[in-house]
Amino acid sequence: MPERITINPVTRISGFMEIEADIENHIVVDAKTKGLMFRGFEKMLIGRAPFDAIYFTQRICGICSTAHSVASSLALEDAMNFAPSEQGRYLRDIVHGCEFLQNHLRHFYQYTLPDFVKLPENYPLFKTDHNDYRLPKNLNDKMVEDYFASLEFSRKAHQMLAILGGKAPHNHGVFIGGITAQMTIDKMIAITSILDGIGEFITDKMIPDVFKIGEYYSEYYHIGRGYGNLLSYGCFDNYKELGTLYVNPLVYSNNTITAFHQDEITQQNTYAWYNENNEPDIHKQQAYSWIKAPRYNNLPYEVGPLARQWLCGDYRNGISVMDRTIARVLEARKIAGIMKTLLEHLILGVSVQEEYTVPEKSTGSGLIDTTRGALGHWITIENSKIAFYQIITPSAWNLSTQTETMKGTGEQALIGAPVNDINSPVEIGRIIRSYDPCVSCATHVFSEGKHINTIQVV
Amino acid sequence: MSVDNLKCPYQEGKLKATESLVARVKSEIIHKKLEKTNLVWLELNGCAGNIISLLNGQSPDFQYLITQMTNFMYSNSLVAAEGSEAMDHLFRVIGSDFILAVEGAVSLKEDGIYNIIGRQKEHAVTGLEAVKKLGEKAAYVIAVGACAAHGGVSAARPNPTECVGVHEVLQRKVIQLPGCPCHPDWFMGTLAYIMLYGDPPMDSRNRPLMFYSTTIHDRCPRRSYFERGIFASKLGEKTCMFKMGCRGPVTRIDCPIRQWNGHVNWPIEDDSPCIGCAQFGFPDAMEPFVNFDTTKGE
Repeated sequence: MPERITINPVTRISGFMEIEADIENHIVVDAKTKGLMFRGFEKMLIGRAPFDAIYFTQRICGICSTAHSVASSLALEDAMNFAPSEQGRYLRDIVHGCEFLQNHLRHFYQYTLPDFVKLPENYPLFKTDHNDYRLPKNLNDKMVEDYFASLEFSRKAHQMLAILGGKAPHNHGVFIGGITAQMTIDKMIAITSILDGIGEFITDKMIPDVFKIGEYYSEYYHIGRGYGNLLSYGCFDNYKELGTLYVNPLVYSNNTITAFHQDEITQQNTYAWYNENNEPDIHKQQAYSWIKAPRYNNLPYEVGPLARQWLCGDYRNGISVMDRTIARVLEARKIAGIMKTLLEHLILGVSVQEEYTVPEKSTGSGLIDTTRGALGHWITIENSKIAFYQIITPSAWNLSTQTETMKGTGEQALIGAPVNDINSPVEIGRIIRSYDPCVSCATHVFSEGKHINTIQVV
Repeated sequence: MSVDNLKCPYQEGKLKATESLVARVKSEIIHKKLEKTNLVWLELNGCAGNIISLLNGQSPDFQYLITQMTNFMYSNSLVAAEGSEAMDHLFRVIGSDFILAVEGAVSLKEDGIYNIIGRQKEHAVTGLEAVKKLGEKAAYVIAVGACAAHGGVSAARPNPTECVGVHEVLQRKVIQLPGCPCHPDWFMGTLAYIMLYGDPPMDSRNRPLMFYSTTIHDRCPRRSYFERGIFASKLGEKTCMFKMGCRGPVTRIDCPIRQWNGHVNWPIEDDSPCIGCAQFGFPDAMEPFVNFDTTKGE
């Protein structure tokens, strides 16, 4: 008989999550990932002024607010049939890059490291009761030092973001056309100098730290693979002059990489708390989470740094907990390099803003890869107001509920994993954190006027 | 990008309030006149952006906060423990002397089940239950950010999960630090003041006067454009954005002098209007945030 365990809260993520796992002979035989918070942004957005979506949707998430401002701007530009200038794109992508750096630094040091490194227990925040810490003392001490040292660099990544975006989290800069402000020489110098410092920290500390952890926890190269389907909407791509600096919209399944097509996305809610009208219904019988089940070509997909690193060909060591974590760290270095290239191609003192008019009636979509993976915003404007807004977030892909036939991506990664001590199932948190879950993002109302076809299986 | 040109000693004093209060806490702790305080950071229905903002704090930084100034007991985003062990951690603080900081709104719908923050054995703990249990026992309660202070974006119409601010569910004084997010200085300064002297001087809505006394408009560096009627018609201009919907005239907060992220910038300096995120009524009362139809208004 399998024994059921529940972990709630899964801490060191954004938002609230529970994992239920059935364990037999020290192996996970079934698992459910549950998003346990709900606010209903898509409903709140109806009737609001379309341009306000850029600032409003940022409040979905305190960690990846910039990502939402970028996707929202893209959706509005699409609806307005407006193409931003290349300078506008560079500026906006630099701001987005700052968020990648801040997120990856924070996730690796503040969220991931405590799974593998024993932090000083005289501080209540760091008390734990499991004992699977394997680093020798001098190495453990060094990583504790880096845990604290990293705070300066993640803070400075947000400082760069604020230099161009006004403030962080919840920036004011990202807008239709690119960003609100112009690049000036003093901003350029400030950003370049901070970026160099962050780049050094990544190379000198973060990359060696992640590979050291991999050495001492080497079985995690073989745990948490999941389905091995990878997807990206593309980011830092398709510039007129610079081409693609990172990754194009691509999909990987069955050892084959193919081009991504938006029409293949569907979303199901058979096991999520929504009724046949897509209204929230917490009393729905078989449901267990607020997170729906986005599918591509009817299959669950993994999104995020490993998907991108794999699809662009930079890193193809494997698909596992450790590979996911390493890919995130290597991506930080990649993004710092891309930002440098974009900065070199900026022209100082260019305003990319115009007087924009809200379309009376239109639709648009903004699909972009962000820190945690593929993010999509879909908007319908009627009578110059938002008539419909839909958001499918990276964590909805990674932490989706099951469908009739298939478990979600994260659930599948848990199934088959070893659990040495059922009273201290440390493996489970390590596996799920490798996806950098953001439950604040992943739970939404999906209302009438659907852009993404919802398959109803009630 | 700099506050070096500040000449007014009154403004400068305000700007340095946090720094000098924290310096005093530091010295009193070193001289054993003051003990580290127990601090619980409770996340409810929101975006967790206030803890992210707190991590951006500089004077002092987060390391100082959790190692020297407080026994930082709990934060869902940062605590090393997980599952029931983490929940035990959280509720074990009851019975000791502690300060409760809350971010996120309290969801009231169906007794709070739209926001489950953890589990104790078979029992699912709602945000509503946790804030009541902890809030009634805490020495001080601080509502950090717009959602905790008054519902904020979590309570935006039609308020699908019936979100309210923390003070609505507690029969006691709650110190209000609205803002989206809360600036790390507003929180650190308030905490330091409490540790030294107790309740800070507050306005009628329990906002500390040292941060919330003056409107953005009254200290706006673009005020002269307003007086002379020179208004921006698009973002990115250096003139007054009043006609584009700037909420500086109704928003009481010190952004013009404090600025953000190591004091490098703030929304108006970034050529975008203030959206009133630190004022009660945000977001619904502050919309539209950006308006190009400057002659008609909304």
